[in-house]
Amino acid sequence: MNLSRSSSSDLILDVDHVWKIYCRNLKRAMWYGLKDVGREIIGGGRDRSHHDLRSGEFFAISDASFQVRRGECLAMIGPNGAGKSTMLKMINGLIKPDSGSIKITGKIGALIELGTGFNPILSGRENIYINAAVLGIRKREVDGLMEKIVEFAELGHVINDPIKTYSSGMRVRLGFSIAANLRPELLLMDEVLAVGDVGFRMKCFTHLNELVKQGVSIVLVTHAVGMLQRVATRSVVFGQGKIVHDGDLETGCTIYEEMLGASDRVRAKKKEESGRIGEIGSVEVCNEGMEPQAEFETGETVRLRIQINAREKIKDARLIVSLCSPVHGVLSSVSSPYQGIYFDVDPPGRVITLKIPEIPFLIGAYHFNISLFGREKVDFYHRSSLRGVFRIVGPPTNADGYGINGITKLQHSWEING
Amino acid sequence: METEFEKSKPSGKGEQPIAVARRTPETSRDVSSDGTEASGQGSPSVTTYSAQSSIQNPSQLIRDIFVDFWLGRELAWRLFLRNIRGLYRQTLLGLFWAFLPPIANTAIWIFLRQANVFSMGDTQVDGTVYILTGMILWQAFIDAFQMPLAMFNKNRNLISKLNFPRESLLLVGVGEVLFDLLIRLLLLISAFLIFEVPVHASVLYAPIAILGLVLIGASLGLLLMPIGSLYQDVGRFISMVLPFWMIITPIIYVPLTTFPGSLLNWVNPASPLLLLARDWLLIGTTDHLAIGLTFAAAAIPISLIALVVYRVSIPVLIERMTA
Repeated sequence: MNLSRSSSSDLILDVDHVWKIYCRNLKRAMWYGLKDVGREIIGGGRDRSHHDLRSGEFFAISDASFQVRRGECLAMIGPNGAGKSTMLKMINGLIKPDSGSIKITGKIGALIELGTGFNPILSGRENIYINAAVLGIRKREVDGLMEKIVEFAELGHVINDPIKTYSSGMRVRLGFSIAANLRPELLLMDEVLAVGDVGFRMKCFTHLNELVKQGVSIVLVTHAVGMLQRVATRSVVFGQGKIVHDGDLETGCTIYEEMLGASDRVRAKKKEESGRIGEIGSVEVCNEGMEPQAEFETGETVRLRIQINAREKIKDARLIVSLCSPVHGVLSSVSSPYQGIYFDVDPPGRVITLKIPEIPFLIGAYHFNISLFGREKVDFYHRSSLRGVFRIVGPPTNADGYGINGITKLQHSWEING
Repeated sequence: METEFEKSKPSGKGEQPIAVARRTPETSRDVSSDGTEASGQGSPSVTTYSAQSSIQNPSQLIRDIFVDFWLGRELAWRLFLRNIRGLYRQTLLGLFWAFLPPIANTAIWIFLRQANVFSMGDTQVDGTVYILTGMILWQAFIDAFQMPLAMFNKNRNLISKLNFPRESLLLVGVGEVLFDLLIRLLLLISAFLIFEVPVHASVLYAPIAILGLVLIGASLGLLLMPIGSLYQDVGRFISMVLPFWMIITPIIYVPLTTFPGSLLNWVNPASPLLLLARDWLLIGTTDHLAIGLTFAAAAIPISLIALVVYRVSIPVLIERMTA
């Protein structure tokens, strides 16, 4: 699963078979906490075997291993409660693993939450000194960086005013600016990419990219997958405490998007009733040659094979198909009547195929929502969502302004005038 | 004065980022038992986190505690200034709030005494000064005792989100206790002048007893902090018990010398050093030298144990704060 072992001096972070146990029941958690404190004090190291869970406990992290090398920017992604922040806390040394080990070479700088420790009554300048001291920087060093920090945060005009007069965006900018200008060897960030306005965000990305170029390693946790391509070079995807992917960013994002879809799918299934006259049966995504296929490149032909089941004859049926992305919602919706198509379905049913030549969408996960109607608006038979999941896996997009990016590939041409 | 303590060692790979974290290259928290600590020249520090309890390597643990006290000193100073400034910037009466509790308490007891509700015994100096001194010392003890839990609760957010030398919070806490004490001692000085209390040379020893009193209070509070942070019952219990504790401490009366009342002086950790400090401040001679110094000496190992407990319990407590 891990990258091959290159020179070990490049290894900044080594997470080795780490397990972490949590308890959701408050009363129990406190009691266990007390017992754990006692055990720590008498020196009973808690390398707990993987199956000795106490009542009410569960694995927040199970058997996670990954490594980060110098100058690498790793994104930890996954649904809520998958264990990303827990892992980040362990890397930061805030909590201990229950089994396994985490080895860090060099200095850690954490941005777990921006501006933690700000005092609203004191001025921005005073708070810079305090925040830097919390992060382990002494006054002398801060003095040297002060101009840079203030300038980066674009707060020169208010830096001597009390922080409580700042807007929330200004506070976040100041927090980011402090932490990012201090240059640790390993930078940890938890959900801090969505900082400030677009302009400042771009500045942050540029800055982080520079840090990476200078050999700083970054581990970041975020749900804003769309922004990751600007900084991250690799992804580790967490699902229910386990690492389900460790590798390139695109695949990681796609898997994450699918996981989001999957949880919706389970919910949708429960709702499904039986005993309809007509319903959407099996749905398959196929290639040009009608062979089932899950991965495509932008511009290829996608065929959606829809099996319609009927108990009774349906006259003048029509289909509405929406192509969706878990992140962006409905991207496009088409109906068969748009091209004058109505069709009859005799029991037990028939197959209808929707052909999408030259699919314009870029890298990501997609799926279809399909509805079956009769001729009139009220003739509803069945709606089925999250069907025919497929991925666009290439060609690569580019967020730095040298290629194409976004959701779809726009037909376009350039003209140089004047 | 500053050393190169916190500069990262260059590892010969072009320009290195400026080091920011506080760990010295030589120290690493929880150095793993298999000796994975970086060795050899020029290699950067290695920190290992594992399930191992750091108490299994006591000498390293104690060393880490002191290193963190040292590394945390500047942070402590900043936080101390922050708190003091923050505290007094938003109040109208400012420092007066530090004077108020002992004045109010003393006033109540003086009133009760003059109404002959109770008898103090032979105090050898003016009763008002006697009670005021006792109140100020008691306040310092109880502030110190309540400080660790208060400090932890006040800084929950910081503790649960950032890894910094947590010992600095204790420095801040003790600093604040001493700061308040110093302000109140100004009050005592005016009382000395008003009531024309003679000053003895033993005043010079008093700081030893006072610091011992603060140390033992803070250590006991620190030992209670882990339970107190998990269960609020502890905090409630303490605030309920405080008035009784004050009554069994010889603040408003001279210490009992006959058995079984004299036993109180031995079982009440606040008594011996408070008595010693007050005798040194007011009377010049003392009957409580042996017991006072015994308690002062005991405060040192107790405080070390308390620091160890504090350090090893923090990760567990953070876990329970967020889980």
